[in-house]
Amino acid sequence: MTASAATPATMEIAPGTPPLVLLKGICKYFPGVIANKDVDLDVMPGEIHALLGENGAGKSTLMNILTGIYQPDAGEIIIDGYARTFASPVEAIAAGIGMVHQHFKLVKAFTVAENIHLGWDETPKRISAQALEARTAELAGALNLAVRPEARVGDLSTGEQQRVEILRVLTRNARVLILDEPTAVLTPAEAHELFKALKEFVSRGNAVIFISHKLDEVLEISDRITVLRGGRKVTTELTKDCSQKMLARLMVGHDIVLSNLRARGPNAAQVSKEPVMRLRSVSARNGDGNTVLQGISLDIHAGEILGIAGVAGNGQKELSQVLTGMRPAASGEIVVGGKDFSGAGAAEFAAFGVGHIPEDRLYSGLAPALSVTDNAVIREYMKPPVSVGRFFRPRAATGLARQIAEAASVMVPDFGMPVRNLSGGNQQRLVARREMRIADKVLIAAYPSRGLDVGAINTMMRYFVELRDLGVGVILISEELEELLNLSDRIAVMFHGEIMGIAETGSASIEDIGLMMGGQRGGFVAASTAEV
Amino acid sequence: MSIRVQRFPSAPPSAALAARAAAIVLALLVAGIILAGTGASPLKLAGQVIKATFGSSFGLEDVGLLVTPLILTGLSVAVAQRIGAWNIGGEGQFYAGAFAATGVALFIPGPSVVMLPLMFVAGAIGGALWILIPTLARAYADVNELITTLLLNFVATLLVYWVATGPWLDPGGQALATTARLPHDIPEFWGIVHWGFPLAVVITILVAAVLAFTRWGYEVRIAGSNPQAAKYAGMPFRRHLILVMLLSGAIAGIAGMFEVAGTVHRLQGGISNNFGYLGIMVAVLARGSALGVLAGAALMGIILNSGIILQTQGLNVSTVLAITGLILFFTAIGDELAHYRIIRTEPAKA
Repeated sequence: MTASAATPATMEIAPGTPPLVLLKGICKYFPGVIANKDVDLDVMPGEIHALLGENGAGKSTLMNILTGIYQPDAGEIIIDGYARTFASPVEAIAAGIGMVHQHFKLVKAFTVAENIHLGWDETPKRISAQALEARTAELAGALNLAVRPEARVGDLSTGEQQRVEILRVLTRNARVLILDEPTAVLTPAEAHELFKALKEFVSRGNAVIFISHKLDEVLEISDRITVLRGGRKVTTELTKDCSQKMLARLMVGHDIVLSNLRARGPNAAQVSKEPVMRLRSVSARNGDGNTVLQGISLDIHAGEILGIAGVAGNGQKELSQVLTGMRPAASGEIVVGGKDFSGAGAAEFAAFGVGHIPEDRLYSGLAPALSVTDNAVIREYMKPPVSVGRFFRPRAATGLARQIAEAASVMVPDFGMPVRNLSGGNQQRLVARREMRIADKVLIAAYPSRGLDVGAINTMMRYFVELRDLGVGVILISEELEELLNLSDRIAVMFHGEIMGIAETGSASIEDIGLMMGGQRGGFVAASTAEV
Repeated sequence: MSIRVQRFPSAPPSAALAARAAAIVLALLVAGIILAGTGASPLKLAGQVIKATFGSSFGLEDVGLLVTPLILTGLSVAVAQRIGAWNIGGEGQFYAGAFAATGVALFIPGPSVVMLPLMFVAGAIGGALWILIPTLARAYADVNELITTLLLNFVATLLVYWVATGPWLDPGGQALATTARLPHDIPEFWGIVHWGFPLAVVITILVAAVLAFTRWGYEVRIAGSNPQAAKYAGMPFRRHLILVMLLSGAIAGIAGMFEVAGTVHRLQGGISNNFGYLGIMVAVLARGSALGVLAGAALMGIILNSGIILQTQGLNVSTVLAITGLILFFTAIGDELAHYRIIRTEPAKA
């Protein structure tokens, strides 16, 4: 038990039991980045081992190494006492290591039974649909995971899809199940179900590696916690010896002060009487014609921060698109600055002074293959100094890009290099600064802290406060309740494309908001949609 | 310590360039080995090719005649790539441009000073019309332009065969499968090379400048690289797509007009000489850069001319096609390999 001896926190199990997974001195370098450096990790049978760390701490890289997606630059992988090298995920699966990714890898048009049997060498060569479903039901029963074998995956809820994904991994005789932020897509009730299934799975002598940055749930579910910071392991501790505060400090490396940023200074702009943006019974459809937003009524006042809470995928993305003119409203009324903007496009919203930090910056906020310069000037290319008349001036564009990068404190070695070569956090900072420059009236920020470390998140939040005090209306869409409670004056909660309620932050409890996130309508909606 | 090869997401420009040069050398080497296998002496052949191409102004003039249409068909593909479209229909648009220019020349009387610009415009319009349906289908119904532009090539090829052997067949009866000689020639610029060559270079520089130094060019760059980002910034993606694809067709059409009015002087079946398809290769060699097209077309022109010389040495015409295929093949491999670097790894500390 060399590994256990090396770490102070040892599991209470029979002596001499080898760890199911033992990683020794794992290093992984990417150009200019140390993703992992001398990381040791041991996972014992019967254990739920939490892997905790900020974005960019190296959790995903470490797990990608364990599952054969990457090969380590140094270090050893020892499974059940034997040193192994995985050239591909297939070999890792054969060794009993399965991973459920944040984004499910299921075929939506196939049934649950078909998805379970897809690409599996134990699938019988010729088999009827009924027999396949019977087989699936049998496997699910044996593993104690309730699924509907005949249902199409596209019709299932996110929680159910996750169960199918887990079942698929477990049927391959996985002994180590790796879950990457599994609760990010779940309601509290669904998360509770998942935890039950995981406890049941490890009670049979298996192990779970649970990646998360949510401290409360890590404390609830795990036996031991390993904290990574900056690609290195900080420590491994028994969960029962840990507290939220201590874990937060280990993750960040110093105490974080979760400050209440709602208080305003004497010179701050007042919340305006008239809303700067007003939505009345707005609905919207997606490309398939399904309704994705329904009866949305919102007022955004100048000088306030309006938080939008909810489990991701409940219409937040569509709402941000409607608020910025990227998606037309199917019905309802949008009034911006006293004018009817119901039919306006993205260019008109931007020209009015609406900035937009989109949730999927690589997909819509940036052109990844183009240069940093081209991407930095996308909001201001049409006016001097970047353009004079019809002419575009590359040198002036690079000048503006340099200015934005400096304000965002992003080091850019070469403004001609593709923006995708910047790290995710730097891309996010660049987009945020770019958008703040045009956001004179309103800023729509969707998940702005994704991909940033705590220090950068703090800076970003201060930017928002700064804008608010200048009299800009800020809409902050986030899945971090703490962030919303610290920052917003009001919080609207979305569920299935509708607003369940709008709460004054001072009077709302986390429980109330949690219930609305799960689909219950808030009782105090009427009061808070009225004038502030 | 062990040594391992790792793939990186981006390739440094120097590695990419070296990989390309290596690809061309390798392709020629492989071709040489195969030629040696057939009993020919590759070194002697290479010597003859170099002497015949660069040894006299006649050789360079031949190359110049071949490069002219290649610049434009290559530019046509590169321009479409800017907006994220694959125009595989350069061949068809080339024929359509040649057809339209011939029609104007044969059936409208007038002095050459007026008629040549008119034919130029007709060629551009012919090429643009030939890509109109694929363009609208892509813009409004999201139909893949790769297939539609390709299929229209066969229509244009057969159409020109038919008019050249049927309705527009030379009434003088001297030629069996072509139209009458066109009454207007593009004047010569250098030896047998007509003014189409400098014009093609000027058009390329002009297009490159518009793409780099106008607001419109910037919007096209963004829209072509990521349509979602264009939507996000409120740029009219569809309008840009339509305009750029029509421009791409028009450029290929101009190539057809130059060929019929400058080089061949009659419309005939097979007049395109595969220039439309070779343009795809020119654009790939140019890595989508408008100015790179000039270099790609020059290389392609030299290869084609070498093929003609090799034919006089009794080699089959498909040998040349095989060499161009090999270059493209090795270039594709080289582009991928440029992403790899060799890494040393150390074992874990004890």
